[in-house]
Amino acid sequence: MKQRIPLIARDQKRLYTWFLIIFAVLFAAATFFTGFNPGVLIANGDAFWSFITEDFLPPALPASGKIANILSSVLVTLALALSSTAVAAVLAFFVSLFGSETISPFPKCAKFVRGFATFLRNIPALVWAFILFSSLGIGTGVGFVALCITSFAFMVRAFVETMEDVSEDCIESLSAVGASFPQRVSQAVLPSCMSGFLSWFLYCIEVNIRASTIVGMVGGGGVGLTLFSYIKSFQYDIALSIILLIAVMVIVVDQITARLRKEIGK
Amino acid sequence: MKDLSIQEKAAPSGFARQKRIPVGCKDKNRATGWFLLGTAVLTVISIAYLGIDWGKLFSRIPDIGVVFWKLLHLDFSNMDLIGSSLLETVSIAVLSLLYSLILGVIFGMLAAKNVFRLPVLSVIVQSFFTFLRAVPTPVWVLLMLVCLGMGPEAGVAGLCVHTTAFFTRSFAQSFESIPDETIEALEATGTSRLSIFCNAIFPTALSQIVAWTGMRLETNFSECAILGMVGAGGIGYVISTSLQGYDYGTAGTAILLVFVIAYLIERIFVRIKKKFR
Repeated sequence: MKQRIPLIARDQKRLYTWFLIIFAVLFAAATFFTGFNPGVLIANGDAFWSFITEDFLPPALPASGKIANILSSVLVTLALALSSTAVAAVLAFFVSLFGSETISPFPKCAKFVRGFATFLRNIPALVWAFILFSSLGIGTGVGFVALCITSFAFMVRAFVETMEDVSEDCIESLSAVGASFPQRVSQAVLPSCMSGFLSWFLYCIEVNIRASTIVGMVGGGGVGLTLFSYIKSFQYDIALSIILLIAVMVIVVDQITARLRKEIGK
Repeated sequence: MKDLSIQEKAAPSGFARQKRIPVGCKDKNRATGWFLLGTAVLTVISIAYLGIDWGKLFSRIPDIGVVFWKLLHLDFSNMDLIGSSLLETVSIAVLSLLYSLILGVIFGMLAAKNVFRLPVLSVIVQSFFTFLRAVPTPVWVLLMLVCLGMGPEAGVAGLCVHTTAFFTRSFAQSFESIPDETIEALEATGTSRLSIFCNAIFPTALSQIVAWTGMRLETNFSECAILGMVGAGGIGYVISTSLQGYDYGTAGTAILLVFVIAYLIERIFVRIKKKFR
């Protein structure tokens, strides 16, 4: 009577125990290496609070002459994100055709294409920005290219996965009747994968709105640069209003893309 | 072939002309077409608005090759600096992940509609974290740097803000996906809210929580590598200072290591995901 019935299967229990052990070990090791102490945050609580209440709140508007500047820098950020994602999407579509073994006319090269995309993707956008700054100089164009590279690599992977999920049978039957490569693409890949492609494209726009703000901070222009300059000059109350503006921008874009995704997925 | 053409000629002229049978459903594709058109127009407008000096940009493209060539001359003489800062970056990523895992479960509990059944509370928590999530991580890190000064504390705290916000939303979603019947059955026995959470909701959501955590580790590492560039420590700082000081060998080694670790995390995660299926 007193014996308990185990509610969780044994192998599952073992799995979670392992996860817990790994977490604990990682936690101990990381704390040891960095010397991080959460007590510091609590001890600095007063400084925190005074920073938030005195320097940060309430949000202040900058001098009226600069408002137009800030708004136009928001537009630059939006334009940067949209145009780089769109250009990258077009490039990624053509490249991903060669990255999937079922569709590509040269199946042996598919691995190389994907490997190249993996290489580009695993280096963060900001590192690309820095590499490009040292060769192309500082400016909006460089931010554009850096964003293009990472979103291109991301979309190549996403597009290849979409194609492999959806259209294997279609392509096989089309190639059985002797359809050429462009025919296979236009008749099998495009109709069945279009909505998948577009939803990845929209996701990429969401990511790039944030990324273009960040790339802006190190010299790509746009609202990130404006924010950075206000923080560097200790005008935190104005910086707060720009942060709010960025938040509004991101939330609005997220809402729009969610709506569009629903519309396309119908 | 010959027979076919004769047959075609023999058929009534109306049939011969209508060789194609329309396959696509026209209503369905309309939204997509409009979307593509709109995107193309907006893209052209925004490229024009940006006013990039394309000629100058293209004329400098050969320089990219030169920089890459210089980066490829790996220089291992600063290996101890690179190694320690890489270790710091990984540790910051892991620590911020673990701390926000705990915070995310707590706030996710508050944000989920079915745990405490306080709609006002969950709306407030959700919208607050939506705001936190909408602002990019480096902004939070910059502000933390102002408060706490240089060091791992600022990095961990800044990364935690965004990661906690992300976890709160995704965990709340996982908690809410649990069938209401389970909770109602436990409610009927008079179990307290917290005990329902610990015994029913949390164990069911655990596998999803593990999946979200694995996914976030990838993001956290690449964000953490970025943080150094806006002024916090870690590998990003090494990359940006050595690139600005034309020390391409060191930068190349550091970038290569960042790539290797990001790639390893991705591979391990893919392997685990396959095992779970």
